[in-house]
Formats: sequence, structure tokens, C-alpha cells
Amino acid sequence: MTALAPAVRRRAPRMQGAATPWLFLAPALAAAVAFSLYPFANTVLLAFTDARTLSPGTFTGTDNFVRMVEDHRFWLALRNGGLYVLGVVPPLVLLPLLLALLVRDKGPGVGVFRTLFYTPVIASAVVVGLIWTWLLDSRGLVNGTLQALGAISGPVPFLTDEYLLLASAMLVTVWKGLGYYMVIYLATLDRVPKELHEAAQVDGAGAVRRFLVVTLPAMRTTMALISVLSAVAAFRVFTEVFILSGDTAGPGGRDITLVMLIREVSSGLDGNVGYASALSLVLFALTLFLLLAVLRLQSGASAPGRAGAAGRGRR
Amino acid sequence: MRTPATRAAAALAAAVLTASGCGLAAPGTGGAGEGGPVDGPADGAITFQTWNLKAEYEDFFTGVIEEFERANPGAQVRWLDQPAEGYADKLSADAAAGTLPDVVNVAPDLVHPLAEAGMVLDLDEARPGAAGAYTADAWEGFTVPGRDGTYAYPWYLNTGPVFYNRALFEEAGLDPDSPPTTYDELFDQALEMAEATDGGTAMLGQTPGIIDLGLYGSQAMNEDGTRFTFNDAAGVEMVERYKELYDAGALVPESLTQDYTGAGEQFMSGAIAWAPGSAYDLENFRTNAPDLYKNVGITEVITNTGRAHMYLQGLAVSAKSEEPATAAAFAEFVTNAANQEAFAHEVQIFPSTKGSLDDPYFTEEDGTDEGRVRVAAAAQLESATSYTPVVFGDQMQNLLRDEIALAMRGDKSPQQALDDAVDRCNALLEEG
Repeated sequence: MTALAPAVRRRAPRMQGAATPWLFLAPALAAAVAFSLYPFANTVLLAFTDARTLSPGTFTGTDNFVRMVEDHRFWLALRNGGLYVLGVVPPLVLLPLLLALLVRDKGPGVGVFRTLFYTPVIASAVVVGLIWTWLLDSRGLVNGTLQALGAISGPVPFLTDEYLLLASAMLVTVWKGLGYYMVIYLATLDRVPKELHEAAQVDGAGAVRRFLVVTLPAMRTTMALISVLSAVAAFRVFTEVFILSGDTAGPGGRDITLVMLIREVSSGLDGNVGYASALSLVLFALTLFLLLAVLRLQSGASAPGRAGAAGRGRR
Repeated sequence: MRTPATRAAAALAAAVLTASGCGLAAPGTGGAGEGGPVDGPADGAITFQTWNLKAEYEDFFTGVIEEFERANPGAQVRWLDQPAEGYADKLSADAAAGTLPDVVNVAPDLVHPLAEAGMVLDLDEARPGAAGAYTADAWEGFTVPGRDGTYAYPWYLNTGPVFYNRALFEEAGLDPDSPPTTYDELFDQALEMAEATDGGTAMLGQTPGIIDLGLYGSQAMNEDGTRFTFNDAAGVEMVERYKELYDAGALVPESLTQDYTGAGEQFMSGAIAWAPGSAYDLENFRTNAPDLYKNVGITEVITNTGRAHMYLQGLAVSAKSEEPATAAAFAEFVTNAANQEAFAHEVQIFPSTKGSLDDPYFTEEDGTDEGRVRVAAAAQLESATSYTPVVFGDQMQNLLRDEIALAMRGDKSPQQALDDAVDRCNALLEEG
């Protein structure tokens, strides 16, 4: 870039060169400032006030953050967010890869499966949540079937037990996310050089072995990307828990997530906008932290990576 | 490139924008919010917002609006209707942006924060004499504790009978012709039903809310409306009884997380046998649950106080209205006796205007189910009262439900759960 810049400048008049990129950028920048940067800055300011929906509020320093530390629902939300990340990220990194391997080769009927696996992704989260609610309800299909088979005596409280509800929501999140991440994997799978597979085959590696030493290392960057995407999404989960718990935060509010808490605190005519803004800031910081942590973990694992060493040894 | 300079400029611009619009500025003033009587000719253009009424009653309201415009040359009414879901959020967005419609459909708990923020007219001051047209109870319904004045015109009232599923009563060996009339009978029969069906059929679909506690005899707030008191002996006793029912399977497991709508759906699907409702539910059963409709029994609300609960709707006038005289005149027109009585013929609601309930339509049965429900409900209204304090907002409702769920699960004793709910509500009240 630095080598090219003077050459460009010599050809074009200075003013023209300086203004043009900004003119091109202006509409996008204006939109970003109006709809992202400004609301963000506003949220930062409001976090230090006692603003309500209908009153502008006054500066209250760090009161909102002190209140947060004392708010047991905030800690519950953090716990649930953490559990959600732990429960959802591993399956969302591994299962779509297996699915992608299944439907990678073009054969008769594969297109149908690809489409089927992708369908939940385009379905509305609310519709999906409602369908699963009917399935998991105490009188729903799953409990009905299990009871008819005599597998259980009373209904399993999928939607009314603190942990089962969270697990059910995770199941929905994973089920709904599979297809999306599968497509990302499919795109990367096509880029793995065939020669590597052939070389491994010649060396006598079976299908499992080839998956471990050829496919998996080639997928590392994609896996990192998917862990980041799914972890951030998991921490900010709202719809699945909200719908499965019947628009509440689970029995006794024990399944609340940070986004649900923000919504509950801020909504309505007496919404506490200041406190909600402070919670949003914390969510933002935590998301950022999660992003950096996952990226760091992944880069740490791939730098002197074991698979890399194995690859070298093989050659 | 001049990156640093540009960045500085951008930062400055952002800071200026933020400071100017960050919500710390005083809300705009002007319009009618200055106090004093509002009078003058009704010849302006106003907006009128209802709550989920357009789908069913478009013709009725179009007619009312046309009639008003004919009687008041120059007046123009633009009708807006909002869906049932998220109405409070819509109102708060409008109010915060200073774009509250001139005439707004509100319930008492919605008018409270609007009045506190000075967003709606005090009608006692703005329209002295308007009160005379309505029953005293209804007019009282839109006062706000700690403030003088009344902040909305009373509109339609509702109160409900209880619906029960006769088939489910029979299956459980209970007599569908003598449904429970006291709480003791209700709870005993609920336990019998759970035992007879081996937990398969639950009598009840909802844990007690603030209205149920009130009907049971608990006092929601102290005399001057400054502290919550529903953790009194009656409140605790009711939650203890429900805990027994929950453990026995007489209360569906979903009751911990569902509201009125969820319980209503379960009643329609035959999962629960007993559901408090309102007079217009019958029509809903007829179209959406014909099997249930054949089996539905109707009985009176159970109370320990002798007074049923009354739901109240009203019309508030925005304090920021450019045409307060037209807005107030229109709100009075919509809520006048003739229009309320006409609306009551459209749908099973009840007028809040003086003398309207003496109409034979509300006092004499006409042989139909609807007629029977209507007359029973109208009679019930004579003594009905609202058990929901106007300060009891959404957040408080949610936290009460959550605390009671914890009591049902056995995480807390009923006393502890109600104590905690009262503490948390009081904390919200202080903040408010």
C-alpha cells in the first residue's frame, strides 16, 4: 500500500483523491453513525443516570453498577449465559461438521437432505419455539409418547424445571443452528485439496484417520469462526428461552438471560432505562471478552499445533 | 491520509450529537399541559388510539367518528389501533418521543406512569363537570394515589363469571350441576379431581396473582397506598393452599410460568377444568373450541370479600395535544351513555355511565347463554371493585408470579415468598 500511494497521488489531483472515498462512504457512514454509534454512545451515557421511560433522569454515577452487583437476577443471568455457552458451543462446532461430511458428496437425493438440514435456519425462531413448546409440554407429544410406551410414570417437566427448561432451549438452539453452520463447513470442505486425501489413502489411512489428520486440521479456522459466532449468540440468547418458558423467565424466573433481564427492566411505561443501559454495557463488555477469549484460545492452539507437527512428520 | 484529524472530527461530531439528543435534555413543553380548564370549539384535527378494537369493531367506531365529525364541523379524527401485545411498550415509546395520540385508550395501571410524567390531562381541572356523567366508582378508578385529579374518562367495564368444563367434572366424579361456591369447596374438589384422575386432569391453570389474593381477602396495599401489604395472613393462607394443590397435581405444572392467556388456552384444550374469564370469552369458545362450548358451565366468581373484580378501560387526553378541546370533546363523546350502551350491544362489555346498567338489556335474561352471562355479570358489577392497585405495574406482576412459583416448587415458604415479593415491589415503588 505505502509503495502505491505516491503513484496514485501523482496521477490524480489532490482534492479529488481525498474527497472521493468519503463521498462513497458517506451514506454507509451516516447510517452507521445514526443507527449504531449514536445509540451506543447514548447507552453509555444513560448507564450513569437514573433515566426512566418517561423521565430524562439525572447523573447518578456508578449507582446502576452497584445495584447490578446486588441484583441476584443479574448473577442468575450470568450463570445461565455461561451454561448456555458451555452447552451449545461444542455441539454446534462438531455436529454441523459431521452433517456436512454426510451431505458433501453430490449423489442422488443429497440435495434433499441439504435442504432439510437447512430448513430450521430459515424458519422463524418464534414458530420453532412454539412447535417445540407443543412437543415438550407436560401433555405434549414427547411426554405423551413416553407415557404411552410406559417409559415414564408422570410427565417429564421439560418446560417447568429450571435446568430441563434451559437444556430444552439449548436443544432448540442447536437444532436450529445446525444447518447454518453446516453450510459454512460445506464451503470450507470443498477447499481441502483432494491430493491430501489421496496421499493419506496411499499411506494406508482409513476414513477416520483421514478425517482426523486431513479434514480436521483444514477446518481449524472455520471451527474457530463457528465457536466465536455460536458463543456470542449463545450468551445473548433470548427467543428460545422466552418462548419455551411461555414469555417468562422460567419457573421463579430462574432461567433468565441477560437479554431477557434488559428487556424486562426497560420495558413498559415505568421502564428503568438507566439500569437497562448499564446492563447492556456489561453485556457488550462480556461479549467482547468472550470473542477475544475464544480467538485467543484458537490461535494458541493452532500456532505450534499438534496436527501441524503431525502433518510435517507425514511428509 | 488525514486519519487522526478525521477521527477527531468524527468523535467531536458524535459527542455533540450525543449530548444534544441523549435524553438528558428536558422533555419538550407546550401544548395543553399548563393546567386550568380546557374549553373552546371542537374543530381541530386529532388522533384517537384504541387497543385491539379495529379487527372486530371497525364499523362501530367508524360510525361514532363520522357522527362526531358531523356534529362538530371542522373536527377531524384519525383512528389508530394497536395490537393487544406490547401495548404498554407502544405507549411508552410514543410518550417518550412526545408523540402520544391526542385521545388514548388506557387501563388504570397504564395511566399511572403517564400521569406521574405529566403526559395526560387532569380532567377534574381541565373539564370540571365531566365527572357527573359516570358512576363514582368508575371515575375514582382513574385517580392516582398521592396526586389530586382524575386522568382518564371511564370507558367500558368488564367483570367475569367463572367457566368450568362439565365433562371433566363428570369424569372426576364431581357434580357438574353444583360447582364450588367457596374457596374451600373449590380446593377440596380440585384435590378430589386430581386424585380421581391420578393427576391427569388439573382443576386450575394459574398460580394466584394480585387479583386472586384480593378476592381471597388479602389487602394489596396500606390505606394511603404507600406500601404493599399482600403478605398478610390471608395472602399467605391462599399461597399455602395453592402449594397443597400444586403438590397434588391439582394445578398444572405450566401454571408456574403461564399467564391468563396460557391458562385460557389450556382451558380451551381441556387440560384444566376451571377458568375465570370475562363475558366475551363465550363467543371465543363457540368459534375456537366448539367441543368445550357444548360442555361449558358458567358460575359466579368465588370471593371471600363478596366483591368481584372489575376491569376498567378509559380514554386519556394527551397533555401535549395541540387541540385539547377537540380531544376532550371527542373522548366525552365516545364515552357518553348513548355510545357506551351501543358498544355494549356490539360486544359483552358494560357501560360506566350513570344509570346505563338499569337498562333491561342488563337486568333481564333473554333466554340465551350470552344473556344469562350478561345479566349475571352486570349484577356482579354493582358491588365489584378493582383489586389491582394502579401502581402495580408489569414488573411487579412478573416478580409476584416468580416468587409464588418459588413457593410452589418448595424453594421458599409461602410466607417467605410473599415477604420477598412485597419487599421487591416496595423497592420498585420507591424508585418509581
